Amino acid sequence: MVFWVFSAVAVVAGWRVFCTDSMVRASFLLLVSFIAVGAIMLLLNAPYLGFATIFMMGVEMMVMALFMVMFMMNPAGLNPMMMVHQHRFSIAAGAAAFVGLAIAIFTTGFPHDPVAAGRPVIHDLGRELLGPSMLIFESAGVTLLATMVASVILSSRSGRFGAADEGSVPPPLEPGGEPAGRRPDDEGGGHAHHHH
Amino acid sequence: MTLTALLLVAAALIGIGLYGALSQQSFVMLMMGLELMLNGVLLAAVGFWSLAAGGAPAGQLLVIITMAVMAVEMAVGFALIAAVYRNRQADMTESLDTMKH
Amino acid sequence: MTLLIASWIAVLLFGAWCVAVLDNLALALIERRSAAGALTAPLYGAAALLRQQQNRTEAPDLLNWKLAPALYLGLAAAGVAVVPLAPGDILADLQAGIVLWGAVEALTVVVVFLHGWSANSMLALIGAYRYVAIGLPVMLLSMFVLIAAALPAESLAVSAIVESQRSLWNVVRQPLGLPLFLLLGLSLSFRGPFNYADSADLAGGTAAEVSGASRLLWEFARLAMLAAVAAMASTVFLGGYLGPVLPGPLWLLLKTAALLIVLVAASHLFARLSPARMLTLLWVVLLPLAFVDLLWAGVVAL
Repeated sequence: MVFWVFSAVAVVAGWRVFCTDSMVRASFLLLVSFIAVGAIMLLLNAPYLGFATIFMMGVEMMVMALFMVMFMMNPAGLNPMMMVHQHRFSIAAGAAAFVGLAIAIFTTGFPHDPVAAGRPVIHDLGRELLGPSMLIFESAGVTLLATMVASVILSSRSGRFGAADEGSVPPPLEPGGEPAGRRPDDEGGGHAHHHH
Repeated sequence: MTLTALLLVAAALIGIGLYGALSQQSFVMLMMGLELMLNGVLLAAVGFWSLAAGGAPAGQLLVIITMAVMAVEMAVGFALIAAVYRNRQADMTESLDTMKH
Repeated sequence: MTLLIASWIAVLLFGAWCVAVLDNLALALIERRSAAGALTAPLYGAAALLRQQQNRTEAPDLLNWKLAPALYLGLAAAGVAVVPLAPGDILADLQAGIVLWGAVEALTVVVVFLHGWSANSMLALIGAYRYVAIGLPVMLLSMFVLIAAALPAESLAVSAIVESQRSLWNVVRQPLGLPLFLLLGLSLSFRGPFNYADSADLAGGTAAEVSGASRLLWEFARLAMLAAVAAMASTVFLGGYLGPVLPGPLWLLLKTAALLIVLVAASHLFARLSPARMLTLLWVVLLPLAFVDLLWAGVVAL
């Protein structure tokens, strides 16, 4: 019963992510979906993984919401908005993925071997991470370090070939039209500009 | 709670995530779709570990690695978005059209 | 069990009242006026808020706006639930209690942001943004400090962390841990030098537009959160219920009260840095200090 409630929350919140007008609401709906999945993990005798999912995703979705507000044109969600492309194809692909996976689930015989009650699962995980699978774990660490370096390089303004935003113009409101909004070299003007 | 039910929920999350990743024009929303798919993967992995693998420690390791993948995806994704935004002042997938012409 | 639930609620209510009284005393001391009425002033203040009209803003996100104070209080309550009062007397004896505390910290940042964002008001939103920028790194360094504290216990359960301190308290074993963790307390309840969310320069920040019962719940949750952090800090670093002669819960109470006095004094005595400087301090000085703490704990544990 509890499982079905959390499942329903996870799926419905996941679906609402793509229906809401507000980007902040979208990120926190996704967080609700993650928290529900974390709660299901707790039901499945995975206490560390459950809480770790909740706190990792709490931070990730908070950052997500900040980026949303920085980059989106309608962050508050006060205006209705639908920013999608290839909509029908996407619905079909999503449905096909679900149906395909469901067929695979129903036609496969899974072994039934539940985790024994009282098994020290967190202790197991620690031994595994720093024992037999240490190389895998350490590779993940090195990958994260490489990620940090890569994201700093990718997102920095200055680069080998000059500033990243040199000559950048905002996109037009309709295809082939005049660039809309602010230009970087207008910065510091402090009042409204009109482009002709 | 059976493994079948659990995997169906995971499949639903993956399906919705795929829809989001394919349909959204905004890069950040697109990443949300990817995250939702990985959410389904996490759920399925923990389900297998807990109900079909007898709590083999390597199953939990898989979940930890998936979380690391999510962190990498987020960090590189946001860095790319920042780079695209500097160049195009938009967070739209359509704004990246230089390879078309 | 009933007794545990009763003491859990008492910790939140009494802890919040204690913090409010300490605040009044500290102000009276600083302003050199008499502290008469300090014990009852929080109750009168609460009653006054209850009689206030509820404020409305234009097009707020009502659900999140009304929910945020309750969620904040719920997080404080969840944090207190993993604190053991005596050997075996713990409301939620979780294998991963310390990770639950980590989740509480992370979700607090989310809830405070939602509180400021959902009012649809400029000053509240600025408070929310500033809080996220400062709150996330503070939370990060507290994670390292907590992992270091869990190292000698070889367990993520809070009860095991207390038992591991029978020979030596963690505050001696890892002297950097407690001060860094107390910073988290100031940050989680945004007080004094870490009040970036609800400060006076933003006319109340995330709570600028909130009045009446919602405001009361929000302020109560802030006080209760500080009490929760103090209880957690005394458990993880000062040996919790361990101590000679007196019964365990009383030791916990005394240690928590002592930490609360330190926290309240710190929130009234230290000035706030500008957000940019505080960010530099956090990332460049304090986060490496947390690494040192973790390394230290590892070397000691070897």
